[in-house]
Amino acid sequence: MLQEALVEGVLRRALQGGADFAELYVERSRRRRMTVRNGRLEEATSGLEYGAGIRLFFGVEVVYAYTNDLSPQSLLEALETLLRARGEAGRVDERGAGGLDFRKEAPRGLHAPRIPLGAKDKRYRLERLLEAEAAARLAPEIRQVEASLQEWEQEVLVANTEGVWREDLRVRTRLFVLAVAQDEKGVQTGYAAPGLSLGLELFDLYPPKTVGEKAARQALTNLRAKPAPAGTMPVVVGNAFGGVIFHEALGHLLETTSVAKKASVLADKLGEEVASPVVTYIDDGTLPHAFGSSEMDDEGMPTERTVLIEKGVLKSYMVDRLGSLLTGYRRTGSGRRQDYTFAPTSRMRNTFIAPGTTPVEKLIEGVEYGLYAKELGGGQVKPGSGEYNFAVQEGYIIRKGRLEEAVRGAMLVGKGPETIRKVVAVADDLKTAPGMCGSLSGMVPVEVGQPHVLVSELVVGGKA
Amino acid sequence: MTPEEAKAFVLQEAKKRGIKAELLFQEQRERSYRAFQGRLEEAKEARQRGLGLRVEVEGKVGYAYTEELSPEALAWALEEAQENALLSGKEGFLPPGAPLGRHDLLGEGLSAPPEAKREAALALEAALREDPRVRVAQGGYQEVEAQVALASTEGAEGAYRFGVAVLLASVVMAEGASVKQAWEAEFSREFHALEPGRTALDLRQKTARLLGARPLKTGRYRAYLEPEAFISLLMVLAPMFSAKEVLDGKSPLMGRLGQRIASPLVNLVDDPTLEKGLMSRPFDAEGTPSRRTPLVEEGVLVRYLHNSETARRLGQENTGHAFRTYKGSLGVLPTNLYLAPGSGVSPRTGVLVTEFMGVHAGANPVTGEFSLQALGLLLEDGEAHPVENFAVSGNLLELLERIEGVGQDLTWRLVGPFALGSPTVEVAELSFAGA
Repeated sequence: MLQEALVEGVLRRALQGGADFAELYVERSRRRRMTVRNGRLEEATSGLEYGAGIRLFFGVEVVYAYTNDLSPQSLLEALETLLRARGEAGRVDERGAGGLDFRKEAPRGLHAPRIPLGAKDKRYRLERLLEAEAAARLAPEIRQVEASLQEWEQEVLVANTEGVWREDLRVRTRLFVLAVAQDEKGVQTGYAAPGLSLGLELFDLYPPKTVGEKAARQALTNLRAKPAPAGTMPVVVGNAFGGVIFHEALGHLLETTSVAKKASVLADKLGEEVASPVVTYIDDGTLPHAFGSSEMDDEGMPTERTVLIEKGVLKSYMVDRLGSLLTGYRRTGSGRRQDYTFAPTSRMRNTFIAPGTTPVEKLIEGVEYGLYAKELGGGQVKPGSGEYNFAVQEGYIIRKGRLEEAVRGAMLVGKGPETIRKVVAVADDLKTAPGMCGSLSGMVPVEVGQPHVLVSELVVGGKA
Repeated sequence: MTPEEAKAFVLQEAKKRGIKAELLFQEQRERSYRAFQGRLEEAKEARQRGLGLRVEVEGKVGYAYTEELSPEALAWALEEAQENALLSGKEGFLPPGAPLGRHDLLGEGLSAPPEAKREAALALEAALREDPRVRVAQGGYQEVEAQVALASTEGAEGAYRFGVAVLLASVVMAEGASVKQAWEAEFSREFHALEPGRTALDLRQKTARLLGARPLKTGRYRAYLEPEAFISLLMVLAPMFSAKEVLDGKSPLMGRLGQRIASPLVNLVDDPTLEKGLMSRPFDAEGTPSRRTPLVEEGVLVRYLHNSETARRLGQENTGHAFRTYKGSLGVLPTNLYLAPGSGVSPRTGVLVTEFMGVHAGANPVTGEFSLQALGLLLEDGEAHPVENFAVSGNLLELLERIEGVGQDLTWRLVGPFALGSPTVEVAELSFAGA
């Protein structure tokens, strides 16, 4: 995407200016979004994003610049602005005198799509969206349906003063269906949103009709649901997107971004038992075609499978370059960023609880009175205190070991390190699901996952 | 190509193809400093620009954008926009345009030297650490300066410049086994109006009063929502006033114009012309001039927020609230939306809610239902005890009806692309779930 001589020139100038390390990140992305509503294309947008980020380390001080004018003049000017910000302008260190010997590595195509962004015309996409939209109109109570398709093709180059020159091509596709159901008592919503690191073959893996029906059924379930009860009770959390609870309550606490500053309650706890012994927690950036997978992270390091917690014992954090510099922990290929406008930080990729041995039915049978949180919505956490919350998108009451009436509007709240100790059983039905995770370095695609999990007690926020 | 050349190129190409086109050009400069443990931890300098296209072809509208300003990229964007328009199933149009002038809302607001700004970040972080209970502190300064230019084949032509300076602070505070984390952001259009010492003191006090928090008993309590807490709710309420959401059947305020939707103490206004407003602007994303827009007057819903498209479809007056970034399509958003100050509240018995968490997940803008994790103080006859690990739930519209007091302490926050303001609000009774 950029001439080698220009990349080398920028990086060498950074060393001359006194930087201990310099990195150039270049990105060209094409995005397309189509939205269907009321049986017709409501809106379509296409975009081309193109820019570069320059990151310099002076010890553990980081300076970052980005621009989307990629002319040599503009890139060197951005660099000089950075050096000026530190009072290093005009300095010429001999470290930058020698040439850089790049070890060039091209993408291996591990997550390459069979049907790329350029294939098939827009009408083909529109027809699939119309199928999903029509399928969601299951009942007269379904008043509104919105189906949209997001396609993202991201070409990335990372080059640094250690001789790294690595490129990656990431293609991601996601289908969203939102259904709104209404009766005389009120309005409820349901949604389904499969997404993977691949192209339009997503439609073969998740037929639009099935996705549309799933969203509609959830909206209808919520329509007949009663308000959730309030109080502390045992909760069985569903598999797949249910894993968002531990993404929030545990995953964010294991990123060096907060660990290095001791701004996480789980800092300095390697080797200690931090979770119930039934919990093994893994972050895997290599899962083929998973939404959070890529061949390399955004610092040019190959991704890997990182076991974070094994049988309750903390084994590793998620570590980026700066985090490694600050803590001494080994880098785990976890440096990620939304795009060139962000410097990378340590982030999750595809994070899940490993399967246990208990059949799902047994989990529910053991509960006298509690909540089955089948599908979860989004949530939030404060890593410094571990306090988290997340919304239950589809929930049911468990009474005497049996699933009974649907309830809506429940919010689960707690403190991560406490909750993870209260996991008393893990089922054998691991599944993962895609999502977008927001943090210091922007919104990045991830997967969350788990088998069904029984938590002995959680605060359920419903109607008191 | 320079932006001027790119503009001329696209307008000429559009005319050649016989299509109507509108160009939104945005150029942004950002600078930030972050301090940690007495040193500068991160400095950031950024420039970003992009060209957003909206075209009208055969009475339908399509979009595309590009950050690369080469003739090839511009031609690609125009082609994509045209294709997107032809595929559209909806009627659409570009509004007639007029000269809008060039405006400078920023002036000398950010003209202080970089060193002064770096010092502000360091001073903020140092002031945060003055309390021994602070375990982790971070102080930051950020400024954004942006230039927006609009041009169309229909005659629109105008530009404005604006900017904002922000102090960002975060702390983790501990006392015994109790740990609390909190953030604070102080915004201004003038760098010199920011005071690191005061921001640090505010955040320390705000966090310290929650240390030693105990679980709250499940039940119904009278609620006092501090400005920041009510602003979180305004984030969810804001889209309900958008005529676009109303037309899409996604607003619970559909069909309620002229009706009472809130307590008579509630006056909600969006005002893009506020002299010191963080998101003030001379015209909206399609060139409609800005003006003060009351939404709720003494509890009565008096109008929705409109762009040209929603105004035409509902047959109502365009309020000039078209919103679009160069990457996005045309929407409707507020600018400076606030709950007008009232005669004051004096918290007695109930729960003083200082903060709501997880608003994007725990509140539903389509139904108004919410169940949100919160932090606060239990007030018992004037005595305050910190409480935690509880959720507050209800319906936002019912909450608006139950407002029994509005304070005078109007406070502003920038929430993404718009600013929200609120004083402290007293609510008759809300449902609290805890221990």
